[in-house]
Amino acid sequence: MDLIVQSLAGESVREHVIALLRSTAPFAALSDKLLGRIAVIATLERVPRGEVIYQVGDPAKDLYVVASGQVRHALGPGAQATVLVKVVGRGDVIGWAALLKDRSRRLAKTTALEESELLKIRGDQLMEVLGDDPVAAQEVLERCAKMIIEDFTVPAWLAQVQVLPTGKAAAGTRAGGASNIRGLALFMHRISKWLQGPTPYLMVVGFALFFGAWYLLSEVFHLWRFASIPGPHQVLIEWLNPNPVYGLSVYSSEYYIHIWSSIRRILIGFTIATAVGVPVGLFLGWSRTFREYVFPVFETLRPIPVLAWVPLAIVMFKSGAETPVIFLATLASFYATALNTMLGVESIDEAYPRAAACLGASKWQIFRHVVIPGALPYIFTGLQISVGVAWFSLVAAEMVSGEYGLGYVINTSYVNVRYPTIVIGMITLGIVGYVTSALVRMAGDYMMQWRVRELALGGRE
Amino acid sequence: MSAAAPAAALATGRTRGREGSALARRVRRAVVSVVVFVLLWELGSRLKWPWVGDAPPPSAVLKVWLPLLTDPGYWYSWYQSSRRVLTGFLFAQLIGIPLGLAMATNRVFNDLTFPVFEVLRPIPPLAWVPAAIIFWPTQESSIAFVTFLGAFFVVVINVLGGAKSIDVRYFQSAYSMGATKWDVFRRIILPATLPSIFVGAAVGMGITWEVVVAAEMISGGGGAIQSSAGGGLGFFIWNSYIGFSYPQIVVGMISIGIAGYISSSIIRAVGVVCTPWLRTR
Repeated sequence: MDLIVQSLAGESVREHVIALLRSTAPFAALSDKLLGRIAVIATLERVPRGEVIYQVGDPAKDLYVVASGQVRHALGPGAQATVLVKVVGRGDVIGWAALLKDRSRRLAKTTALEESELLKIRGDQLMEVLGDDPVAAQEVLERCAKMIIEDFTVPAWLAQVQVLPTGKAAAGTRAGGASNIRGLALFMHRISKWLQGPTPYLMVVGFALFFGAWYLLSEVFHLWRFASIPGPHQVLIEWLNPNPVYGLSVYSSEYYIHIWSSIRRILIGFTIATAVGVPVGLFLGWSRTFREYVFPVFETLRPIPVLAWVPLAIVMFKSGAETPVIFLATLASFYATALNTMLGVESIDEAYPRAAACLGASKWQIFRHVVIPGALPYIFTGLQISVGVAWFSLVAAEMVSGEYGLGYVINTSYVNVRYPTIVIGMITLGIVGYVTSALVRMAGDYMMQWRVRELALGGRE
Repeated sequence: MSAAAPAAALATGRTRGREGSALARRVRRAVVSVVVFVLLWELGSRLKWPWVGDAPPPSAVLKVWLPLLTDPGYWYSWYQSSRRVLTGFLFAQLIGIPLGLAMATNRVFNDLTFPVFEVLRPIPPLAWVPAAIIFWPTQESSIAFVTFLGAFFVVVINVLGGAKSIDVRYFQSAYSMGATKWDVFRRIILPATLPSIFVGAAVGMGITWEVVVAAEMISGGGGAIQSSAGGGLGFFIWNSYIGFSYPQIVVGMISIGIAGYISSSIIRAVGVVCTPWLRTR
């Protein structure tokens, strides 16, 4: 190597080197005193254009800081980095392999693209100097590590946060970054992955086929029986019409009154059914005596379809149309909730309550800390089913006897030959029903996070 | 014979005796609870307790029911409803099971149809009644269609869930041992899905009874369709309500309960026969 060696004894040169070191990422935060000591062990070299500073596989002895000029840094074969070749300039640090223990080798080939000045620092000497000030050493190494990670990890956004876990000072900022990634960036990453597969496009095609067939059959070709059915275009126009032809659209307040009365009935019925059904189910599963006395009656009544109760409910609850409808929704929910809760208690491994009893738990403690959490997955399955059947029976009840509500809308629209409104009612029912069961599912996932995690680890999908 | 045999026989005899007494206790308690329930109902109905007071007492129900047992019209209602349930149910199985299996085995088909399916699923089957009446030419076919829908979604979801929960390692090992696609379908997917097919059938049967009853009531009670079109137990109930013969409403309810119970028992029995490997558990 034809390097021009220059002594660093002079004070001005020393100042120059300290300033250079301060401009680099790894050494920026060090004290003047420490930088001065590093300057002593450093040598400034001039490299002519085209000179190879080191080759892949060379023993790594020195760390270089570029003082002027341009150096081409090309990673060797097998390196898994996005940028294999980069050009570095003033203030960049190359040759960090010299800081590694156990006589490491170079991973890249560096060539001077023009006449350059390099500050050369012996790796082992630098480590010795840094060894006297562990806090500073940690800072330098951490920043080097960050640089290395930027070189060798795939997406740039990951490199900004994945700092090696060292030091307390940076912990706060690091935690903030990590949560960022988990939230939005991860979500966006998943979205982009999803968009790369065929699933979303097939979904669009599926919907296009469905609505296209419906549209063509009912509105374009007027085929056979389809002619009498309102087409999707007709329904959409009516649904979004400020002056609806048949009196019901997103602009009419009546629409929301109907939605709200249905939701209110579901809410009341579901709440009563849960408040009664969960305790009854827990006791059915927990106490054999209670089960053997109560369950036969339960089983006798259960085969009677809830909808067969409609006339009797009207006879029994005379106070207007409201109570019978709520009663039917409640009854349907109650069966589902109580039965699933009972199954949930029965699904608990018998060893758990026994173990708790052996450890001195009281009956109440076992009930509170073993039976209830153990039955929770089944309870929430039951609640989801219960919301579904509540809507199911509510619609029938409203169709037969109701003054407001979506089932009532559907039935009266049929009787009064307002066909597009029937479809509006059906779609609205579907949306509202879906939202309510999604809410119950979310509440369940929130309350049983241990189970969600278990499923995520054990499940195939 | 060794000495162990009689000892074992004695032991099983003893446990059987214990089980027998447990069964006897359960039956005793079941009878007590149902009798108490009926007595309370009778009492509440006669003493005009709130709500129960407006329902007819069991004695009145029995008094109305007994003459009906020899009435051919009553049994014709049974026949009508059962026929509709069976039609809808069979169509749901015939279309739902292949569709569920196709969705579970073919990814492209699944991505294409499942979203549409999921959008239609939350609409309660009874909300389809008016649309079905408009679309189908006869009242009979519209009731059959709504009944079909009631069971259809449950059947598909159960088949799909059953097929998707199969451990991938079964497929991998079968393929690595040279199985064809048909082998995998016939020997792995079908047997693994059979229990959930029967679960779906049992649930679907329950829903079809619900739907039939309501469809009969709505199409009979809605006023738009002529009521003479065909009886059925749902219409029987509705007719009793219109005619103020309240005990007859309860007769109809209990009849439907019995019919529903019999049909689900049949499905359960068939399921036990078809999935013998589950019996040992």
